[in-house]
Amino acid sequence: MINDFIDVYKNRHDYAKDWKKKNPDSKVVGYMCSYFPEELFYAAGMLPVRILGSHEPQNVTEPYIFGMYCPFSRDVLAQGLQGHYDYLDAVSTAYPCMHLGQAFDSWTLHVTQKKFYVDMPNRVQTPYAVPFLTGRLEETKQEIEEWIGREITDSDLKEAINVYNENRALLREIYEMRKADDVPLTGTECMYITTASLFMDKKDANKLLKETIENELKGRKAKTADDTRLMVLGSENDDIKFLNMVEEFSAVIVTDDHCTGSRYFWNPVEEQDDPIQAIAQRYIDRPLCPQRDYPERKRLPYLLDMARDWNVAGIIALQQKFCDPHELDKVALLDWFKENDIPTIYLELDVTVPIGQFKIRVEALLERLREDELW
Amino acid sequence: MAEMEEQTIEYWRWDEGNWKNPDMDFKDAEILTAGIDVGSVSSQAVIMADGELFAYGNTRSGYNSRDSASNVMNMALEAVPGLKLEDIHYVVGTGYGRVRVPFANKAITEIACHARGANYMYGPKVRTIMDMGGQDLKAISCDERGKVLNFVMNEKCAAGTGRGMEVMADLLKVPIQKVGEMSFQVEKEPPPVSTTCVLFAKTEALGLLKNGWSVPKVLAAYCSAMAHRIYGVVKTVDVKKEFVITGGCAKNSGIINRLEKELGFEIYKDTKVDTQLAGAIGAALFGKALYEKSKKK
Repeated sequence: MINDFIDVYKNRHDYAKDWKKKNPDSKVVGYMCSYFPEELFYAAGMLPVRILGSHEPQNVTEPYIFGMYCPFSRDVLAQGLQGHYDYLDAVSTAYPCMHLGQAFDSWTLHVTQKKFYVDMPNRVQTPYAVPFLTGRLEETKQEIEEWIGREITDSDLKEAINVYNENRALLREIYEMRKADDVPLTGTECMYITTASLFMDKKDANKLLKETIENELKGRKAKTADDTRLMVLGSENDDIKFLNMVEEFSAVIVTDDHCTGSRYFWNPVEEQDDPIQAIAQRYIDRPLCPQRDYPERKRLPYLLDMARDWNVAGIIALQQKFCDPHELDKVALLDWFKENDIPTIYLELDVTVPIGQFKIRVEALLERLREDELW
Repeated sequence: MAEMEEQTIEYWRWDEGNWKNPDMDFKDAEILTAGIDVGSVSSQAVIMADGELFAYGNTRSGYNSRDSASNVMNMALEAVPGLKLEDIHYVVGTGYGRVRVPFANKAITEIACHARGANYMYGPKVRTIMDMGGQDLKAISCDERGKVLNFVMNEKCAAGTGRGMEVMADLLKVPIQKVGEMSFQVEKEPPPVSTTCVLFAKTEALGLLKNGWSVPKVLAAYCSAMAHRIYGVVKTVDVKKEFVITGGCAKNSGIINRLEKELGFEIYKDTKVDTQLAGAIGAALFGKALYEKSKKK
């Protein structure tokens, strides 16, 4: 079951192509930012899939995007330029950071012409954010309807909301299980599960998640209380190799704050009479990306609560090189965890993970946390 | 012929060798431990007798960390007639090749080992350690026992580290031991070169020489750029005036004096121990603590 998620993670394109074969009248839409309201597209019978990089060095993006944009955004664009997403019927995003925005623009110029751009407000901490986004989602809904030639009913929307909410609840249940002293799954395994869910039809994912929880995770001990409990947080991260390396040092990652991890699914859509407004409310209320964490900095107390609730001993903050929003977060974040006595290290990610250079930093953090061992 | 001879001189070569404390006999010691620091550029093996520096070897690292560890350990043992590897109770590996020391009982990061080693070399007053190694920089803050409280490393680029200085010594044909001293033979301190990137700095240095700069002036500009870069890393930890430098670059007064100006205070230099040994000393001291713990069990 966990192996099924690993299989989807590794063969994400085959999964989408198979889905398309099974649903010949339906469309697959790729999206670039976790603020993208998938429910609208799922309600129209489509499969939304997150576009992620491959973590392999590439040489195709130089003419299409400046080198100053983050390695992740360039890796994402490379996937399109290399034809890996040739099955997409449309490409889309909610208003993302500037870097992914450039990758999106370039993609629509050079890879997939059909596009949807959801005007997600950047300033979410204002009472105008929900009505604004509700209006924008109505517009997007109309665009989709014109494209597919049929109406998306409230009933379609409510069903999509239910499927997505179930997915969120199941993923959350797995995260709750990670609060145990003997953690039933490693952080690496959990990353496979959450990331694979980004590519899957949520009905398929939900079925698999239920089976995994019932038949594999209950009563399982993947790590013990002797392993050092860590949290990872920061920008987009599906660096399996990195997590695996960390967990080889008798450590276990028990929770995260990444847009490909907990930030993606943490809060459900709360029921309201108007399903579009309910969806808008959910995306405005969701755990914040640092790009939208202003004027009040709400992420810090939220992250501290999470670190305490999951009883972590230390934190590894990860940032894609040149990522402006997370660079802006760095100083406040490090000061905050220092004030609250949670040792934290900050690492800069690139397309490929420099395992050797990260190893020493991670090991040194673990030596700090296991202070009695050497003294 | 003369030209060929000049080509073979390796100006970057720092002093390699081994040493034994003439006032000590290993047979008197209850616990013998060793620390092996296999770095990206240099390797050190330190043997400690009951927690005191007894012997060491110091040499260039090869591409194979296992061989480097064995070679440097043999160097240290050669300084002590009669002493064999089997006589050593506990061995700790550290440095870039720490997990590849074939005869080590445990591997510990050089961050922990440099802090512990600096505590031994300079005493419990030390609070900030700057390890200036061959290919990276580590700023470490520690407590009175030499226990790490926080650390910062330079990013993945090796700019502004010992290897860069070696390249510059070779380029300018100045023995590395003379670089610091020669960098002060200038009437007026020049501005630093614009980058410490080894490749760009090399190109820039050649350009400056062509523009008529003297070799000492180019060295001054490069040392100054390195001090700038090191200061940039060190100020991201909680810098205290009880500040020491470990690693090979600590022997370069051209960098140290300029760094002191940036810091605004004097760096502690009162130790008789070679600064390149700090990591291996820390490793050997951890080895003693771990051996004693294992005996108590």
